[in-house]
Amino acid sequence: MAMKNKLVIAFIVVMCGLVVSRPLFAHHSSAAYDMEHPVNMKGVVTNMEWTNPHVFIFLDVKDDSGSVEEWRVEGNSPNMLVRTGWKREMIKAGDQLLVNGAPAKNGSKVMRLVTLTLANGQKYDGQGFK
Amino acid sequence: MGATLRNRSIISIVVVAVFALPLVIFAQTAPHAGPAKTRTVSAAPDFSGVWFMDEYHRNILPKEDPPFQPWAEALFKKRNFENEHREPDSGPDPTERCIPPGIPRTMLQPFPWEIVQARDRVIMIFEYQSLIRQIFMDGRGHPRDLEPTYMGHAIGKFEGNTLVIDTVGFNDKTWLDPMGLPHSDAMHVIEHIRRVDHDTLVDEYTIDDPKAYTKSWTTKRIFKLKPDWQIQEYVCSENNNVK
Repeated sequence: MAMKNKLVIAFIVVMCGLVVSRPLFAHHSSAAYDMEHPVNMKGVVTNMEWTNPHVFIFLDVKDDSGSVEEWRVEGNSPNMLVRTGWKREMIKAGDQLLVNGAPAKNGSKVMRLVTLTLANGQKYDGQGFK
Repeated sequence: MGATLRNRSIISIVVVAVFALPLVIFAQTAPHAGPAKTRTVSAAPDFSGVWFMDEYHRNILPKEDPPFQPWAEALFKKRNFENEHREPDSGPDPTERCIPPGIPRTMLQPFPWEIVQARDRVIMIFEYQSLIRQIFMDGRGHPRDLEPTYMGHAIGKFEGNTLVIDTVGFNDKTWLDPMGLPHSDAMHVIEHIRRVDHDTLVDEYTIDDPKAYTKSWTTKRIFKLKPDWQIQEYVCSENNNVK
């Protein structure tokens, strides 16, 4: 039963990911990213670039073996993000974040952000508009 | 006696004021009365405000391909292939290197734009790349020898409640949509913009480009009023990672 519930939850999570992962960024095509297989990652912020055309969040993420990899997580323009509640100050170096997004198809450690979750549980849309 | 004199003085002031007032009003209005077109513009429909696309489509024609000339179809397929085989920090779309998207694509980007109606022009202020477009409303035509530009040369007029915009003089350096739909420097864009309700603007774009397409074709977009939004600065080259 528990196993069945987990499968149902996993299915819902995947479907949610598919629904919100439409390629909505204006500046870059999403073709380089695997939008159909979004992944979740937890990491610690090392830096954030609050810039146009896109916001970049740099995250230290521990892999399964315990070694740390740096990922670049790319959100939409800060202009659009602030319209959905983002603030520059809400992400600082040292913060723990949960990100859901589409990893690059070529294996490089860059991701197109779909959803951001802060340590306090607050969720934000990485595309900045609906 | 003193009171009577005061009353006379008051009456004199009132009489002078009554006769002089129209002169003052005339003096104030005369320089601005001008030709009739001033009044015509003030009676025009008001489209001013910040507008934002209702739905985003990567294809300017969401359901079909336009009627290509052979070279345009081949170029479209080449761009599609390059788009699909791109790396994260590269890409063939000129906008990814901060080149303006041209018209109509600048209006179709997922960023807001504002309409400001001046006496002789309609001004569009685009947040994306901080671009502007001016549409001349004073009855002028297109110049004969236009230097090709990204935004083209736009003239407009109100037909009833519809703003009709005619734009020519484009260069051929832009894509019509992120998929890579091409156009030539012969492109002629005709727009019919209507405010169908307080919060909704509809723009029908007709693309007439005989060098690139065998027939003209039309697409339509809906924009919603965003009364609480302001156009913000957007400096594309600030931190652009696409080479």
